[in-house]
Amino acid sequence: MRCKKTGIWLFLFLLVFMMSGCWDTRDINHRVMPVVLGIAKDSDQYKVFLQIPHPQLDIIQTKVVIGVGETINEIVDDISADMESSVDLLHVKVIVIDRHLAEEGVKDLISGIMRSRDVSSKALVAICNDDIDQFFESMEKNTSPGGTTLLDFFEKNAGWDPQIALTRVWQVYRSIHSYTRDVAIPMLRLGDTTLVEHVGSAVIKNGRMVEEINANETLLYNAFNGESTQGKIEVLNEGSVLILGNTMKHTSDVQDGKPFLHSKIKLDVMILETKGDPTPKMIEKGLEKLLTGRLNRMFSKLQVSEADILGLGQFFRKEIPRMNLKEWRSKYYKNLSTDFVVDVDIQNSGNLKNPD
Amino acid sequence: MDKSLYVVIMYILTHIGLILFLYPGNIIDSSSQGHWIPIVIGIIVHFIILFLLLTGLDRFPHQDIITIYLRAGKLVTFLFLFPTLLYFFMANIITVRAYSEVVTIVFLSNTPLWAIMALLLILSCYLATKGVEAIFRTGILLFLFLFPLICFILVVAFQNVDWHYVYPLWNDDFSFLTDSSYLRSFFAIGGVFLFIGFVRPIIPYKRKKVLLAAVALIPIFIISVYIPVLTFGQATASTFLFPFVMTVDAINLTWLMFDRLTMFFLLSIVIFILLFISLVLWMSVRIINKCLLPTIKPSYLVIAVSLIIYIICLWIPNWSDVEQLFKWNTSLRFYVIFGVPISIWILGVKARKEDES
Repeated sequence: MRCKKTGIWLFLFLLVFMMSGCWDTRDINHRVMPVVLGIAKDSDQYKVFLQIPHPQLDIIQTKVVIGVGETINEIVDDISADMESSVDLLHVKVIVIDRHLAEEGVKDLISGIMRSRDVSSKALVAICNDDIDQFFESMEKNTSPGGTTLLDFFEKNAGWDPQIALTRVWQVYRSIHSYTRDVAIPMLRLGDTTLVEHVGSAVIKNGRMVEEINANETLLYNAFNGESTQGKIEVLNEGSVLILGNTMKHTSDVQDGKPFLHSKIKLDVMILETKGDPTPKMIEKGLEKLLTGRLNRMFSKLQVSEADILGLGQFFRKEIPRMNLKEWRSKYYKNLSTDFVVDVDIQNSGNLKNPD
Repeated sequence: MDKSLYVVIMYILTHIGLILFLYPGNIIDSSSQGHWIPIVIGIIVHFIILFLLLTGLDRFPHQDIITIYLRAGKLVTFLFLFPTLLYFFMANIITVRAYSEVVTIVFLSNTPLWAIMALLLILSCYLATKGVEAIFRTGILLFLFLFPLICFILVVAFQNVDWHYVYPLWNDDFSFLTDSSYLRSFFAIGGVFLFIGFVRPIIPYKRKKVLLAAVALIPIFIISVYIPVLTFGQATASTFLFPFVMTVDAINLTWLMFDRLTMFFLLSIVIFILLFISLVLWMSVRIINKCLLPTIKPSYLVIAVSLIIYIICLWIPNWSDVEQLFKWNTSLRFYVIFGVPISIWILGVKARKEDES
């Protein structure tokens, strides 16, 4: 009996130590949790924008808080001191980087985020192609009462389309260190009739923006990265088609230090509209020509900038020894000759019969 | 009664706790390509020492390592049991210190270290005072709760892999064998298996089943290293302190109600580590109790030992000192994880010869 009692007391005593898990805790109602983090750089100083949702009676309104300082953490700290609640970056979902900062390089910024783990490494990265002050100002004014526009813009089950790149912080970090992989980050600007407008993607090499690709090229980038291209509509001279799915096959070869890649891209499409009376063959040919041309153009553009966002170097890891793989971008990628073959298959033509 | 299941589950849990933390980082640091080679070498070593220990123990039914050594004489006892005790002490100090540091690095950045260390030690000290059977039963319970979660995380962690990062597969350079981070990775390989030599009289088990448990661990050794490598590539993964934690961080499942799986992952690992700490506490106290101070009640000894460990842990100022301690401990660890199984095996062979003559 006595033993049992001491046991209970001991257990209760142990509970006291459980509190060590909640040290210095702040209640959830004393925290603000920004969902969008905007970062710009003015000469030497960072400028941080925090878009913070705060629920009103039936709707969610957002406000934007701005701070300036030497480092991101310092700014967040300052903002936290000035606000009535503490700022918690745990739930940041989208990081918007100013274009000038992206061109200058985001290596330190991304490394800092990965190091401190305040911001989730799953957060999406975007680049603001406009004046970032204006961008956030209109975010605050025009955000729909339902939530945050930017988040929905990227949400796969909301506003996302296959021609928008989905790049997360850890992928950017990987591209900074990886020998054979770069990333594309979506670029946004204020739209005329819609709040944001997607203008294509920025090509990031070693943490610096070196090139731009448009939305159509981003679709190919997504296809190469295994992201489904389903639902994208392609318009060509003969009509328009809906992409239902894509598969890819690559064969790589290195001869006398010259890499060669043969890629076969198979697309399943459905005919939506036709102009005149094209035969299915004509539509297939038209689409194949359109996409092959687009791929080749994009590739030669990327080759000049030495940024391997398609991850083509990945296919050569077998052939090129690791020592030389370090020089993939500078030595091999430039001499890479490719042969892109697009093979279009019309799966069906909707409710109407195929035009003959 | 055959209680092999207890031993098997405990074997798997404590090893998972050790593997999923520092092991991936150590392996990734030690070699830049063909990581399966160092992993496989480690696993082979694991099997050899385990097999030697089990074969040696089979010659002495219902006896633990301590009685076997005590029967073999004072010199043998001192040669092998004393370093083992020292090793257990060091292992506990390092584990408590390192894992509480990990907890602060990864999620409780505002909590002082002493509180986390106290929590870790009090819980495992309490468990150890209750005896080895309590530890093993707790193991079963935790296995039922947390093992499915760990399996789920191991499966969904494949979400972001890029299989091309497997290449290059072969590595001509075997310099990793002497690399200090590779030697440190043996903490996961030879860290806890000795407990099967201690629990024998209390929890009897079958040799075959323990070997099966070790086989079940092989995929975990490989997965723990390859998931980070395949997700980030060696060049990026080697910049992380805990590559596996970072990989779990990058898992994105919209249908899952929890935003960050890392928390659940880390908590289960820390709980497994609690089991490990209490098991090692119990073993060191058993050695002290049987060889040095037979009159004192084991539960008092457990408390005393935990207190000493806690005080030493408070002395260690930072993470680089923990790593330094890890390095110092390496030679002792190799002496113990090779010395004990081999000596038990030799004693077993000798006993058989005596039986025959």
